[in-house]
Amino acid sequence: MSWTGNPGSSKITLGLILRLSPLMLPFVVLFCGGVFLTVCQSLGIFTPLRHTGGLVDAYAVILSDPSFFASAGFSFGVALASAAGSVTAATFLAYRVWQLPNALAGAALVYKIPLILPHIAVAFVVLIFWSQSGILSSLAWHLGLIQSMPDFPNVLYSGWGLGMILAYTLKGTPFAMLLILALLVRFDVRQIQTAAMLGASKRRIFFSIVLPRLAPAMHTSFIILFLYSFGAFDIPYILSESRPGMLSLHVFDLYFKHDLARRPEAMAILTLMFCFAVLFIIAYSRTVTHLETGVRKL
Amino acid sequence: MDITLRHIGKSYKHQPVLESIGFAVNARELVSIVGPSGAGKTTLLKIIAGLETPDTGQVIFSHPVTQHHPVIIVFQDYVLFPAMTVRDNVGFGLKARHMGKIQIRNQVDRMLDYFKLTPQADQYPAQLSAGQKQRVAIARAMIVNPAVLLLDEPFANLDRNLKMETARFIRATQQAFGIPTISVTHDLEEAFAMSDRIGVLLDGRVQQFDTPRQVYFHSATPAVARFLGPVNEIPPALFPLFRVDEAVAGPLNGTPLPARPENLAIIADPEGFGRITEKTFAGHYTVYVVAADSQAYTIYSQNDRFDRDQPVSLRYRPF
Repeated sequence: MSWTGNPGSSKITLGLILRLSPLMLPFVVLFCGGVFLTVCQSLGIFTPLRHTGGLVDAYAVILSDPSFFASAGFSFGVALASAAGSVTAATFLAYRVWQLPNALAGAALVYKIPLILPHIAVAFVVLIFWSQSGILSSLAWHLGLIQSMPDFPNVLYSGWGLGMILAYTLKGTPFAMLLILALLVRFDVRQIQTAAMLGASKRRIFFSIVLPRLAPAMHTSFIILFLYSFGAFDIPYILSESRPGMLSLHVFDLYFKHDLARRPEAMAILTLMFCFAVLFIIAYSRTVTHLETGVRKL
Repeated sequence: MDITLRHIGKSYKHQPVLESIGFAVNARELVSIVGPSGAGKTTLLKIIAGLETPDTGQVIFSHPVTQHHPVIIVFQDYVLFPAMTVRDNVGFGLKARHMGKIQIRNQVDRMLDYFKLTPQADQYPAQLSAGQKQRVAIARAMIVNPAVLLLDEPFANLDRNLKMETARFIRATQQAFGIPTISVTHDLEEAFAMSDRIGVLLDGRVQQFDTPRQVYFHSATPAVARFLGPVNEIPPALFPLFRVDEAVAGPLNGTPLPARPENLAIIADPEGFGRITEKTFAGHYTVYVVAADSQAYTIYSQNDRFDRDQPVSLRYRPF
């Protein structure tokens, strides 16, 4: 018995690839090429300087350095707190905005302002407001709440990354709101009316009826915001502290401020961050799927 | 619980939708409001449910409506909670009342059993048929012992063969639970079958509010009569040919007699004053159109043996 493929189907596949190539080419070249080059350089291949060590030397150096794990843990904490804060605030605010009467709905578009600001600008906004010489500190002094600048809590450089968390939350909240509102505009208000008629409180309506419908947008925005905060450079550059520092700054230092021979270490960190991002998405998606087992949408 | 509507009026963008609506529904009564699409039936239902405010008039309940004894509307597309199983949907109202888990389980089990939903208890709304969804929606409402149950187009999403069965089921359920029920629908047969009384909503007003038989056979206005189905008009000059009794003809004072297709009987008669011009098989009856004295009469008959162009006589049969 022999099996021969349909020659027509291979032509269709080839035609499809050719038609998709304008979209796929930049992705393959820029993204896949970038990842490939990063992995290669982390192994000492295609490096600017001839690599004399072993293939995994850079990984061995990175993984034996306690400051890497401190930075990774710190980055994870900042990303988790800011993404969770953004999604929580966005869910609450989006629900309130959705409930506004039509006359006020236009005014509520003000929430989109941080979306158009660059991350660096948001970092400066946080700096101007929350630093010990900032606007809030000055306001507190004028109100007689503090006697001098050092009395104002050192929010930005407390060692907890609060400045970065504030900035990422400020920037991430409107983004998450945008996704959540897109679901809310399609939400059937009669679900809320029915639940209210059946005697449910506003709290129960929100948690039992509204929240499950918003979950897909909440999960998507959480993953995007978490991974961005985990690896971004701009806000940490303004608001981060040195110890522990964010991983992105660690990479920046290794790449630009050290010997070219240490380039594989920078690339090894980037590779590890990429692997973490992939594993995080898989683990998160599986957890959500497990929690929502059997839930079907109408 | 009795419900009385007094002079309910509602306009949208200065366009009146409801004008001076008034009727009363007694405890344990099932009332249907029928009318064409866009007549304002759902608006009326929402006003009774408190989801919309009337511009004029009021809805009066004989006992106060409370959160524990609410008015519940079952929407046309049922509005089940998609992320909850059938069991959780049905038990939602009890959970909202902070009832104990065992008590909820027992009550929900009884309700699922009554509504024949036990096999679907752990399924989600997306896995149910339209009829099952409707039963879940009604069970979810009934379990909280509502003061009034409102049904918005209960037959709209059902297959033709399910409609009458559902009408009977709604009637039986309403009788079993003894909850006053108001249904709005444009499915006339089903409304006639299940209702104690029917209100005909035309041009923003309830034109007639009476028993189904009275509304159908003794319509208050020609518009009501036409809305409910074909109606023939027998001129007084033909009363003797149709054998119309004096008891029927007398009160008409010389005006034509409105007669439903069911009010007329065909009799094979070679010397008859009418001639069959159309014959249409409609399943459980046959529709005949008989021309007599330059007028056409529509007759529904169980008898299929008459033929086109056959001379016949017609008889009036009062109901």
